[in-house]
Amino acid sequence: MTSHQQGPPGLTAALRGWLPRQRWYAGKGREIAALDVVSSALLRVGDPELHHMVVRVEAADGTVEDYQLLVGVRDNLPDRLDHASIGAVEHRCAYDALQDTELTSVLLDRLAEGSTVEGRRFVPEAGVTLDTSQTSRVSSAEQSNTSLVYGEAYILKVFRRLSHGVNPDLEVHRALSSVDCAHIARPLGAIEGELDGEHITYAMLQSYVANAADGWHMATTSVRDLYAEGDLHADEVGGDFAGEACRLGEATAAVHRDLAQAMGSREAGPEESRRTAQQMRNRLAAALAVVPVLLPYAEALRGAYDEVASLSEPVGVQRIHGDYHLGQALRSMTGWVLLDFEGEPARPFAERKAQMSPLRDVAGMLRSFDYAARHLLADRPAAQQLEYRANEWAERNRDAFCAGYTDAAGQDPRKHATLLRAFELDKAVYEVVYEARNRPSWLAIPLASIARLAS
Amino acid sequence: MSEQRIDSVEESHDPDWFKRAVFYEVLVRAFSDSNGDGTGDLRGLTSKLGYLSWLGIDCLWLPPFFASPLRDGGYDVSHFTSVLPEFGDLGDFVEFVDAAHNHGMRVVIDFVMNHTSDQHPWFQASRSDPDGEYGDFYVWSDTDDKYADARVIFVDTEPSNWTLDPVRKQYYWHRFFAHQPDLNYENLRVQEAVLEALRFWLDLGIDGFRLDAVPYLFEDEGTNCENLKQTHEFLKRVRAEVDRLYPDRVLLAEANQWPADVVDYFGDPTVGGDECHMAFHFPVMPRLFMAVRRESRFPISEIMAQTPQIPSGCQWGIFLRNHDELTLEMVTDDERDYMWSEYAKDPRMKANIGIRRRLAPLLDNDRNQLELFTALLLSLPGSPVLYYGDEIGMGDNIWLGDRDSVRTPMQWTPDRNAGFSTCDPARLYLPVIMDPIYGFQALNVESESNNTSSLLHWNRRMIDIRRHHPTFGLGDFAELGSSNPSVLAFTRTFGDDVVLCVNNLSRFPQPVELDLRRYEGCTPIELTGRVHFPRVGELPYLLTLPGHGFYWFQISQTEE
Repeated sequence: MTSHQQGPPGLTAALRGWLPRQRWYAGKGREIAALDVVSSALLRVGDPELHHMVVRVEAADGTVEDYQLLVGVRDNLPDRLDHASIGAVEHRCAYDALQDTELTSVLLDRLAEGSTVEGRRFVPEAGVTLDTSQTSRVSSAEQSNTSLVYGEAYILKVFRRLSHGVNPDLEVHRALSSVDCAHIARPLGAIEGELDGEHITYAMLQSYVANAADGWHMATTSVRDLYAEGDLHADEVGGDFAGEACRLGEATAAVHRDLAQAMGSREAGPEESRRTAQQMRNRLAAALAVVPVLLPYAEALRGAYDEVASLSEPVGVQRIHGDYHLGQALRSMTGWVLLDFEGEPARPFAERKAQMSPLRDVAGMLRSFDYAARHLLADRPAAQQLEYRANEWAERNRDAFCAGYTDAAGQDPRKHATLLRAFELDKAVYEVVYEARNRPSWLAIPLASIARLAS
Repeated sequence: MSEQRIDSVEESHDPDWFKRAVFYEVLVRAFSDSNGDGTGDLRGLTSKLGYLSWLGIDCLWLPPFFASPLRDGGYDVSHFTSVLPEFGDLGDFVEFVDAAHNHGMRVVIDFVMNHTSDQHPWFQASRSDPDGEYGDFYVWSDTDDKYADARVIFVDTEPSNWTLDPVRKQYYWHRFFAHQPDLNYENLRVQEAVLEALRFWLDLGIDGFRLDAVPYLFEDEGTNCENLKQTHEFLKRVRAEVDRLYPDRVLLAEANQWPADVVDYFGDPTVGGDECHMAFHFPVMPRLFMAVRRESRFPISEIMAQTPQIPSGCQWGIFLRNHDELTLEMVTDDERDYMWSEYAKDPRMKANIGIRRRLAPLLDNDRNQLELFTALLLSLPGSPVLYYGDEIGMGDNIWLGDRDSVRTPMQWTPDRNAGFSTCDPARLYLPVIMDPIYGFQALNVESESNNTSSLLHWNRRMIDIRRHHPTFGLGDFAELGSSNPSVLAFTRTFGDDVVLCVNNLSRFPQPVELDLRRYEGCTPIELTGRVHFPRVGELPYLLTLPGHGFYWFQISQTEE
C-alpha cells in the first residue's frame, strides 16, 4: 500500500471524534471499537487536496459498517469551512470536502470526462454531456446520505453507508430511465468502484428538479389550512389537497407500470403469501417485545396477517419503491416526481431488491396521509374537533390517491383489501416501534390507526 | 418620425412607455358626474385627473364611450366616431385627452373591431339595400349552415351564430349577441372604413387602442373561425398604419385565449413584433387567487413557466379584476382538466372566476391579502391594469346583477351620492354602495387621502416604488425555488436593477431559505423602508415572512 491509500496520516484519530457527530452516521450510541481506512484515492493534489476514502467502523457490539468520506486537506482552513473541520493532520487541516465548492467541482469534472482514478470510475450515462461550470451546495434535505446540488442543474447523491453491489437507487433509476419514465429525475451518471473485490456504487448524479417542493410540505400546508377553519370540512377549505393527491396516485401507478415493464413482474403463489404473512408476524412479535402498548391489538393484527396467509389467489409482485411516503415525492412544475428508490436504508440490498406487491407502496403512502393529517395534533391538548377534521382530511386524500391510482393503473388497489390492510398494519407496527424509540409524543398517530384498522 | 410628435405628454420619443406603465381602467359612466344628471361624463372624468395623477397612474383605459344603444355595456357601437351624448361630445373628449397629457398620463380607448350594433347606420344600410354601398359590410348568407365548426360563445343566450334578418330576409353572422352583427373583413372597403375610424381617434391624440374580440375578424369554411391567418394579416396592416403615422401609440389585443395562442397576436418576433404591442395575460388572475387559496405557489409558478417568450417590442397586460375573465373552454385539454379539478369544482373559486365581485370583497376585505395581491400584480411580468375603485378597496352590490355589481359610482366623499354627483339620489345610473363595511360614508377617497395608513396611500406608495425600478416593467423574470411550497420568490432583472420579490401565499408565518449565491456579497435593501438586510453569503438566505406577507428587495451589486 502506498501512503495515500491510508489517506492523510493521523486522520483516523480525528475521525473517531468527527464521525459520530454526522447526521448520516448510523452507529450513534454504539462505541467505536475500531476505525480503519480500507480504501483511499487521491483525486486532487496540492492545496487543497482531495481524498476519496472508505472507512470501516467496527462497533463494540461487533457491527461492522463501511462509510464513504470525501476528505479535503488544506494548509489553512478558511473561515467559511470552519464548520466542516475534521481535525489536524500533520500541520494541515482535514475537513469534509463536500462542503468545499473548490473540491466538489473535481467530482463533476471527472464525471464529465468519464475518467477513472485509482479504481474509482466516473461514468456518465450514455449520451449525457455535463456542464461543469455549475457550483455545488449541500442539500439540507438528506438524512442518510449527502447530496450536492450543482447550480440548478444536477444533484449528486453521495452514498454514505456502503453496501456491496449496485445501489438499488441507481439500478432502479437506470431501469426507469430506459423506459422513459416521466416521473423520475433522469440519472446522468455514477461513481462506481470495487471494495473487497465486489462492486460498489459510490454516488449517483441526476438532473435536479428545480423549484419543487416535497409532498410532505405540500400536504401539511393543506392540513394547516384546514385546522385554521375548524368548522369547515376538508372539501370546503381553500387548501384542499385532493387534486394533488389524485395526481400523485396517477404518478405512482405510472411508475409501478414502468418498473414492471423495465424490471419484470410475476405472480406469486399462496406459498409466498404465507411467507409474507410470517414475516409480518415476526415483525409484530419483535415489536411487542419492545412496545407493550401494542398488546391489546396483537390478536387483531395476527388475524389480519392470517388472512394474508390464507389467500388462495396469486399476488402480482415486482420491483417497487420500497420506502414510499409523502417525503419521497416532489411536486415539480410539471407534476409529481418520485425520489429515492433506495428502499429502507436499514435493510440489506438483497432484501430491498426483492420483488414485492406494489400494494406495499400504496400502503406506505396511505400511512403517510395519516401522518400528515395528525402530526400537527401531537402536541395539542383537547383537539377533538380537529381530530375529526384530521380524519376527514386523511380519508379524502387517501381516497383521492387511490382514485388517481385506479385511473392510471386500471385497477383499484382497494379491491385487494386484505393485502392492503395487512401492509398498512405492518407499516404502522414499524412506526409504533420507531415512535416509541424516537418521538414518544407521536406514538398516538400509528396507534390510533392500528386501533381503527384492527377493529 | 419621432421629431414630428408634438404631444404635450411627450418630452422625447419613448416607444417602450407601455412596458413600464401602470394602467387604470376607468368607466366614464361611473367616475364623476359634472352636470348633475346622475351619470358620469367626460368632463367629470377630466376634473378627477389630478387624483389619478397623484395616485401614480401612467395610462387610462376607457371602455367604450361611443354612441350605442347600450345593450352590451357600450360594446355594441352604433357610431364609431361619436361620443355617447350622456358622456359629452367630441370637444369634451379632446379636452379630456389634452388634460390627461398635461397631467403626464396617456389615454387608451376601447375599439370594437369585430362587430357593430345592429343600430349602426352601416348595418341599417346593409339590411335595407343589399346592392348598395354597404351591402357587403356584413356577413350575409341565404342559409344558416355555413362555418358550422365555429362555436357559439354566448351559449346561454344565443342558439346559433346566424340570425335571420326580417328586413333583408337573409341570415347574418354574429359571434356574440344577435344584436351585434359581425363586420365582413373580406370586404376591403370594410377594412378601409375601420382604419379610417382608427385614424380619426388617433388624430384626436389618443395613445392607443384596446382592440376588442380580435380573434374573430375573419371566417373560413372548415375552421373554427378563430385566430385565422387573414385576421393576423389585417392586424399587421393596422399596425403598419399606426407605425407609419402615429409613433408611440399602442395596440392592446383582447384575445381571451391561452398565452401560447395569444402570443401570435404580437406578430413576428424576428422584427420585435408587428401586430399588437400588448395583450392581456388572462390565466394569471385566476391562478393568483388559486395559489393564495391553496397556500401554494404552484398555480402561479406553472403559468409563468408555461408563458412563452414574447417579441422584444411587446408586453403583457395583467390584472386582478376587470370585466374580462378566463373562460375554461379556451384552454388545452390537460389544462382544462387541471383547472377543472383544482378550480371549477370549488364553489368559492367558481364564483371568483366570474365577473361579479370586486377585489376587496373577494378577499374578505383582508388588508394583508389586498396588499399581497397588489404587490404580486405590481411585480409579476407585465403592465398592471388597475380597476377603478379597487385602489380604495371599494365593495360591490351583487343585487344589481352580473356586470352592474362592480360598476357602481366611484366613492369620493362621505357626502350625498358619495360626491360622485349632485343629482337627486334616485336619479343615479346605479345606487352607490351603502352597506356598513364598504359604504361610501366610511370608504371614500377623501377619508383615505386624509389617512396615510389607508389602502389608498399604500397603493400610491407601491406604485411609486415601482416607478423607481424600471426592472418591474422591463426586467427578466426568474423564479427562485425553495422547499416551502407556500412561498413564491422571484427576481426581476434589468441590467443593474435587480429586485427580489418574496411572497408568502399562506395565512401563517413562514420561513424560507433561498439560494442567493449568485448575489453573494450583496446587501438586500427592503424597498418600502430602505432597511438593509443581512448580507448574502454562501449559505442559503433565511427569511421569515408574516402571514400573507411579502418583501421587495433591491439587490445592488455595488454596496450602498
